[in-house]
Amino acid sequence: MRSAIPALLLLAACTVLCLLAGCTGTPAGGTVQADDFSDWRLTLNGTGEEVLTLEDLRGLPASEGHGYAVSTVGIRYGPYRCRGVDLTLLVDMAGGMGERDQVWVSAPDGYLWVFDAEQMSGEGFVTFNEDLKEIPSPPLSIILMYEQDGHPLSYNDGGPARIAIISKEPGVVTEGSAWVKWVDRIEVRST
Amino acid sequence: MIRFAGLVVLLLITVALSGCTGDPGGVTELKVLPAGSLLIPFEEAEEEFEALHPGVDVQLEGHGSIQVIRQVTDLHRAADVVAVADESLIPDMMYRRMEDSEENYTDWYIPFATNEMVIAYTPTSRYAGEITSENWYEILDRPGVRTGFSNPMLDAAGYRTLMVVQLAESEYGNETLFASLIGNHFDPPLEVTTDGGVTTIHLPQIMKPSDQELVIRDGSIYLISLLQAGGIDYAFEYRSVADAVGLEWIPLPESINLGSSDLEQEYSKVKVELGFQRFSSIGKERTGRHIVYAITIPANAPHPELAEEFMNYVLGQAGKGRPGWPPPLGQGS
Repeated sequence: MRSAIPALLLLAACTVLCLLAGCTGTPAGGTVQADDFSDWRLTLNGTGEEVLTLEDLRGLPASEGHGYAVSTVGIRYGPYRCRGVDLTLLVDMAGGMGERDQVWVSAPDGYLWVFDAEQMSGEGFVTFNEDLKEIPSPPLSIILMYEQDGHPLSYNDGGPARIAIISKEPGVVTEGSAWVKWVDRIEVRST
Repeated sequence: MIRFAGLVVLLLITVALSGCTGDPGGVTELKVLPAGSLLIPFEEAEEEFEALHPGVDVQLEGHGSIQVIRQVTDLHRAADVVAVADESLIPDMMYRRMEDSEENYTDWYIPFATNEMVIAYTPTSRYAGEITSENWYEILDRPGVRTGFSNPMLDAAGYRTLMVVQLAESEYGNETLFASLIGNHFDPPLEVTTDGGVTTIHLPQIMKPSDQELVIRDGSIYLISLLQAGGIDYAFEYRSVADAVGLEWIPLPESINLGSSDLEQEYSKVKVELGFQRFSSIGKERTGRHIVYAITIPANAPHPELAEEFMNYVLGQAGKGRPGWPPPLGQGS
């Protein structure tokens, strides 16, 4: 009978492995996105064009601040400590923008959002307090965030890089429609 | 020793099962994605359904209608039930193949409710004692009156507002009504063109009014909050939403409120062209239609049988015409 003990343990280990293999949290009909961003590229397009890797992006001067977003139906996301590259810096790398130009930010999931020059200077946004009551907007910045709460931005959170609207003071909530996830293209367009 | 080994086996299996069945603690999580204007009714349905089904946790996640569908089709998130405020979106966006499958995301939907656009306000809104279904456009045009609607880029109620105001020009024989209430509050003014009997409102990329008399917010909850705080005087809303949150509202004529199936042809004479194609999976043109809510179960729903039970429960309740719910089809305006 003693020889049955290793067999039982082996059986247990196999059972656990099988169970684990079947429950990795894979969404039905979807695929698990490993956080390997080595193939990710960011295209900056304006009067010039540049293509950056994640390493290139992380090598640029960083901006940090508090970010807090809310969906169209009032679901809050955050608050976060956000770190990334100021969108104006990336626009400058694409050749800069004029007062009537716009910045089109898009992602491979088919999402697109547009910022105008006023917003690029941190103005013209609707802001709320944590109770979702409107408050006067403090100075804001748009960044391409690659780090959230001190950690690299995960795929599920929109990584490797997503838009965040940040402020120096905490508790400022902004409309989430502008927080484009999985950004891979930033384009300056004339209106 | 054998007993010990058996215990180890049981323990390991229990640990493994408890951590990764997706239904922690024996609770089945039913993921339901409703459009924003269905959130309050679905919260009621959630509570009632859970009371009838111990062990079921209905998880609601509200979005704009297009975002509801995109959760399934573009973001590949598991969902058991999808319910939207515009029935045309389901065939347009879900009657297509799933990734790595011969099946469509769905091949069917059930239209189950309608709605109508109204003008919501509070007793403290300017001229609240004067506004009626006949003079609303004159009241909204008075100096100092602030009117709000949701962003047409993000919310069906937003582009439907533009359609209502444009349709009002014919209803009241006033060709400058759209410009004075909405179009001229942008710089440059919104462009409106007519071709072959169809009027198209062309929107800029960024919906930013040029003065304080027009206010645009991402979703209707922010307009409600502004109304209650006195930040705006009037808001274009769905009737069911105004009812659900206890706002005053005036009805609009059937010919413009998008609430009558008999007037679908008239409604379709107005289109809105959005400023940019926010989603690659759907174009940027919206056509006036009778408002019809629809529900479906994605083909890859994790719990299809339970999803069907929940859907049938919602359909049954919607059919009763409950207060704060979009009225059942055939019982609209």
